[in-house]
Amino acid sequence: MSEFTGLGADLGMSTGTIPAVASPQTPKLPPREWVRANLFSSPFNSVLTVVSSLIILAITRGLLSFIFNPQRQWDATATNLRLLMTQAYPEEQYLRIWVSVAVILTLTGLSLAVWRAGSAVSIANVGRRLLSFGCTLALFALLAPFSARATIIWLLIAVAVAGGGGTLRRLADSERTISTLALVLIGLSGLVGSLWVVPYGNHTFELHRTPRVIAEPGTVALSTKFPWTIMLLIAVAAYFLGTYLRDRGSLNATRTTLALLWLLMPPVLLYLVLRDPDFDMGHVFGTDIPIFLACAVLGGALLNWLARPSTGEIGRIVAALVLIAAFATFLTPMRMIVRLDLLMLAAFALAAPTFSGGPRARRNYVIGWLGLLGVMSWLVTAVNTPSTIEVPGQFFLGGLSLTLMVAIFTIVISFPLGLALALARTSNMPIFRLLATWFIEFVRGVPMITILIFFSIMVPLFLPPGMHLSEVAAVIIGYSLFSAAYLAENVRGGLQSVTRGQHEAAEAVGMTTSQKTMFIVLPQALRVSIPPLVGHCIGVFKETSLLAIIGLFDVLYIARNVMPNQTEFMGSTKENILFVSLIYWLFCYQMSKASQRLEQRTGLGER
Amino acid sequence: MTAPTTQERVSHRVPLWRDVVVLKWVTQVVLLAVVLSAMWFLATQAGDNLRARNIVSTFDFLERPIDIQLSEGIDTKPDTGARALWTGMVNTLRMSIAGILFATLLGIVVGLARLSDNWLISRLASTWIETLRNIPLLVQIAFYFSVLTTLPRVGLGTGPINGWFHISNKGISMPRVFIADGFYQWLTVVGVGAVAAHYVRRHRQRIQDETGAMTSPILWGMGTVALFGVIGIFVHPVFSWLGVPLGAIADLLDSLPVIAPQILFSVIALGAAARWITRFLSAHRSARGHLSISDDDWFRIAFATLAALAVVVMLVRWTGFSSWTLNSGRDLFEVLENKFDVDGAARPFDAMRPDIIQKGKFPNYGKSGLTMSIGFAAVFFGVVFYTSAFIGENVRGGILAVPKGQSEAAMAVGLGRGQILRHVVLPQAVRIILPPTGNQYLNLLKNTSLAVAVGYSEIVQVGQTTFNQTGMTLPVVVIWMLFYLSCSLSISVVVNWFNVRMKLVER
Repeated sequence: MSEFTGLGADLGMSTGTIPAVASPQTPKLPPREWVRANLFSSPFNSVLTVVSSLIILAITRGLLSFIFNPQRQWDATATNLRLLMTQAYPEEQYLRIWVSVAVILTLTGLSLAVWRAGSAVSIANVGRRLLSFGCTLALFALLAPFSARATIIWLLIAVAVAGGGGTLRRLADSERTISTLALVLIGLSGLVGSLWVVPYGNHTFELHRTPRVIAEPGTVALSTKFPWTIMLLIAVAAYFLGTYLRDRGSLNATRTTLALLWLLMPPVLLYLVLRDPDFDMGHVFGTDIPIFLACAVLGGALLNWLARPSTGEIGRIVAALVLIAAFATFLTPMRMIVRLDLLMLAAFALAAPTFSGGPRARRNYVIGWLGLLGVMSWLVTAVNTPSTIEVPGQFFLGGLSLTLMVAIFTIVISFPLGLALALARTSNMPIFRLLATWFIEFVRGVPMITILIFFSIMVPLFLPPGMHLSEVAAVIIGYSLFSAAYLAENVRGGLQSVTRGQHEAAEAVGMTTSQKTMFIVLPQALRVSIPPLVGHCIGVFKETSLLAIIGLFDVLYIARNVMPNQTEFMGSTKENILFVSLIYWLFCYQMSKASQRLEQRTGLGER
Repeated sequence: MTAPTTQERVSHRVPLWRDVVVLKWVTQVVLLAVVLSAMWFLATQAGDNLRARNIVSTFDFLERPIDIQLSEGIDTKPDTGARALWTGMVNTLRMSIAGILFATLLGIVVGLARLSDNWLISRLASTWIETLRNIPLLVQIAFYFSVLTTLPRVGLGTGPINGWFHISNKGISMPRVFIADGFYQWLTVVGVGAVAAHYVRRHRQRIQDETGAMTSPILWGMGTVALFGVIGIFVHPVFSWLGVPLGAIADLLDSLPVIAPQILFSVIALGAAARWITRFLSAHRSARGHLSISDDDWFRIAFATLAALAVVVMLVRWTGFSSWTLNSGRDLFEVLENKFDVDGAARPFDAMRPDIIQKGKFPNYGKSGLTMSIGFAAVFFGVVFYTSAFIGENVRGGILAVPKGQSEAAMAVGLGRGQILRHVVLPQAVRIILPPTGNQYLNLLKNTSLAVAVGYSEIVQVGQTTFNQTGMTLPVVVIWMLFYLSCSLSISVVVNWFNVRMKLVER
C-alpha cells in the first residue's frame, strides 16, 4: 500500500489549485434562509436532502447500536490499554515511558511558544461550534440504544453544552477572541480533570502467574491519572518557558537549538531512556572516548585547515586521500567505528570548500563536525550495548510505541536519503541520474509488503558472519528505502519549481554547484514541498500498520492477534480494530489539518 | 621548439583535478564502482550463507509438484509451483480490475457529491473522504474481515436458500447469470439493432444540424440498441435459420483447395502495398503535379514493395498457414452453425440462484451461485472504499481547477447545468483528473497485496505459502517484483495513452 504520492498530491491539490471555498465576506444568513439555500434550493435538492438525511440517520443509528450493543466487549480495550501502548514493557520501569512522554511534551510546549503556533478565534464562533456539537450530541443520545436513565443523562449533558454554546454566542461580542491554544488547553484540562472525577472504571490486567482481569468501579487507577496530570502541567510550564525564551533570548538561536533537540530526541529517548543500555564503563573510557577524542582533535584541525580559502588545490588532494584511506580501512581488519569516522571525515573534507570562509565560518564548520561525530560515536556505542530491559522473545517496545518509533526513524533516515536521490535524479550527471531513476522507479513499482517480507526474512542472509541485525532494524531499513523513493519524487517536484533565473543568478555571483544547491536551490525547493512532505509523513505513519503482517507486535497485531486470544476477551476483534482505527485516524487527521493550516498561514501552495 | 598556441595554453591552464568534466566523471565512476562492489559483496555473502544452509535457489520449484491449498481461484489445488503462482496472479488481477472499476465509479460519485450545492450531501461526502483516507487500508481490511467472519454461519439452521442473495460467514452469494443456448441468436438481433441504431443516430443528427433543436442522437442510438435487446429476448428464434447458411459456408471452406487463401492473401498484400504507394506518391505531388521524392522516400517505396513480395513468398513457401486458415475458418463456422442449431425455446440468458451443498463435513455454497468469499469481500470493499476517497478528491480538485469563466461563459450562451458539466467542465477537468487517478490505480494494484492479511490467495499470499514450503524465498521475491513491475508498467502505458489522447482531443 502506498499512497505516499497520492496523498501528497492530494494535499497539494486540495489547497494548492483550489481556491478557498468560502470567502470571508460571505454574509451570514438567518437559519431559515440558510436551510432554504443549502438544503431545499430546488425540488431535486429537496429530494436529495430528505433521502440523504434518512440514510444518515440510518447509518448513525446502526453505528451507535453497534458501538453500544451490550455484546460489545469494550472492556477488552479498557483493560489492555497498556498492552496496546507499550506491549510488555515492564511495569516497574514505566517511569522511563513517562520521562519520554514528558520530554516530547516539553519540546512540543517550547516549540508551540517559540514558533508562535495557534491563532485567534472569536468567542462567538466557539459558542456556535459548541451549540452545534451539543445538538449533535442530543441527536446521538436519542438515536443510541440507551436505557432511559442514560438517555436522560446524555440529553442533559447535550443540552448543557448546547446551552453554554448558545449563551457564549449571544453574550460575547464579535470582537472578543480567544487563542486556539487556550481552547486546546481547556479541552485537555477537562479531559485530565475528568480522570479524577468521572467513574470510567478501574481496569487492570494482572499478569502474575494466572492472568486475570480486574475491573472495579470508580475512577481510573492512580498510576494513570497522576502521571497524566503531571504531564499536562509540564506541557503548560514548557509553553510559558517558551514564551519567556522567545521574548528574552535571541529567537534564531532558540529555534536552531530546538530543531536540533527535536532531531536528537528520537535516538536519545530510544537508546538512553527507554532501552536503558548497560554501558561497560571500562570499554567506554578505554576505547570509545579515546577514539572519539583522537578523531575530534585531528579531524577538527584538518577541517579547520581545509576550510581556509587560502588552502587551495592541495586541500582537494588531501580530501581525496582521506576518502581513499577511508575506503582502504574496509580492506583491513579495523574497528567499525574507525571506518565510519573516517568515512564521515572524508565527506566533511570533500565538502569543506563549499563552507570555506573566515574564522567564524570555519569555527561553525568544525563545531558541526564535532557535534555529528559525537552523536554518531555515542549512537554506535549505545546500539552495541545490551539493554537491561528484557522482554522475552520480543523487541522491547511494542504496540503504539513501536508504531511511532518505526514511523519517526523511517522519516528521519529517509529524509536525507530521499533528498540525495532527488538531487541525483535531477542532476546532469548521467550515471547518477540513471541509478537514481532505476532505484526510484523500481521501488515505486512494487508493493511495500513485498519489500518488508524481503527485508524481514532475507536481511540475515546478506550479512557477513558474526554480524547481527534485529528484525526491527532490518524492517526500518526496508521502510526507509521505500519511503526515500517516494520522498525523492516529492522533493523533485519542488526542485523543478525553482526557476532557471535562480540557478543563473547563483552561478553569476560565482557560487560552485554545491554551494548553489545548498544555499539557493534546496531551501526554496523544500519550502515548496512542505505540503507533499507532510502528506508523505502521514503515508509513512499509515504504512507502519503493515508491521502486523510480518508478525511484529505493532498496535494492529496486538488488536487482531493478541487480545482476541485472551480467555476473557474471546472474539473482541471488531472492537479492538475500531479502537486502533480511531488512534490512526486521530493522528492522521490532525496532521493533515495542521498541514492545511500551515499552508494557509504561510501562503504556501499559492505559488 | 615553438611557443604554445593560445588554445594549448588555455587547455593547460586548468589542471586535471580541477577540470569540471573530469571531476564529474571521476565522481560518477567512483560511485558506480562503490555501488557495484557493494552489490557484489552482498551477493557473495548471500551465496555463502545460502550454501552454508544447504539452500540452492533455483526456479526448479516451478515445475515440481507442490502440496498447497488455495482459498479460491482458477485452480484451488494446483499441482506445480508455477500453476500455484499463476492462480495467485489471476486472483490479483481479478481483484485489481474489479477494484479499479468500482473505485472509479464510487470515486466520481463521491467527488461530485463533495461539490454539491446541497450542504448535507457535501458534508456526507467530505466525512466519507476524511474518515477513509486517514485510516490505514490494512486496518480497514482487517475490520471488514472481522465483521464478515462474525456473520451467521452457513447451513446450520439456515436450510435451503430461497432468496437471490445470501450472506454468511462463508461469503456473499448472488445469482450467477450465464450465457445460454439462445445467446447467439439474440446477439444477431442486437447486431441488427446496432445497424438500425447507426441510421437512427444519423437521422437525429441531421435533424439537429438542420433545425438546431436538441435531438440527443447518441441517446436515441443507445435506446434503439436497448430496444432491440429487449425485443430480441422474445423474438430471437426467428434467426435459427442462420445455421443453414453458416453450415454451407463451412462446407464451402472445407472443399476449397489450399491455393485459394494463398491467392486471396497475396492479392490483399500486393493491393495494400500498391494502394499505400499510390497514396504516398500523390501526397508528395505538389499542386502543379511536380513530384519531389528524396532517396529516403524511394527507400520507403522499395521497402513497401519488398514487404508485400515477402508476404507472397511466405504464403507460397509455407502452405501450412493457408491450410490452417481454411481449417480454423471451417471449424469456426461449424461451431457457429451448432450455436444456431438449437430449438426455438432456448433462452439467451439463464440465471441460477445460490445454493448450499454439503460436500464434506461442513456445508458451503455450491457452484450454482456467484460467491464472493469473505477474504475477497474484505479486500474488495477495503480497496474500493479507500481508493474512492482519493479519486473523489482528484475529481473535486480537477473540476474546481477549471476556470470559473468557462462555466460562466457556457451559462451566458444558454447552456443548462447538466450541459455545462458534460460539454464544458468535464472535458477540461478530465485532463487534470487523469494523471493523479492513474497513480491511484497503481496504488490500488499494489494495495491488493494486503490481502495476504486475510488469506485471500493473491500472488503475495501464494508466494509466501510457496516459499514457506519450498524454502525458495529469493526466486519467489524475484517473481513478485517482476509481476508487479510489469503490471504497473501496463497500467501506466494505458493511462499515458489516455492522457495523450485527451490532449489531442482538447487542442
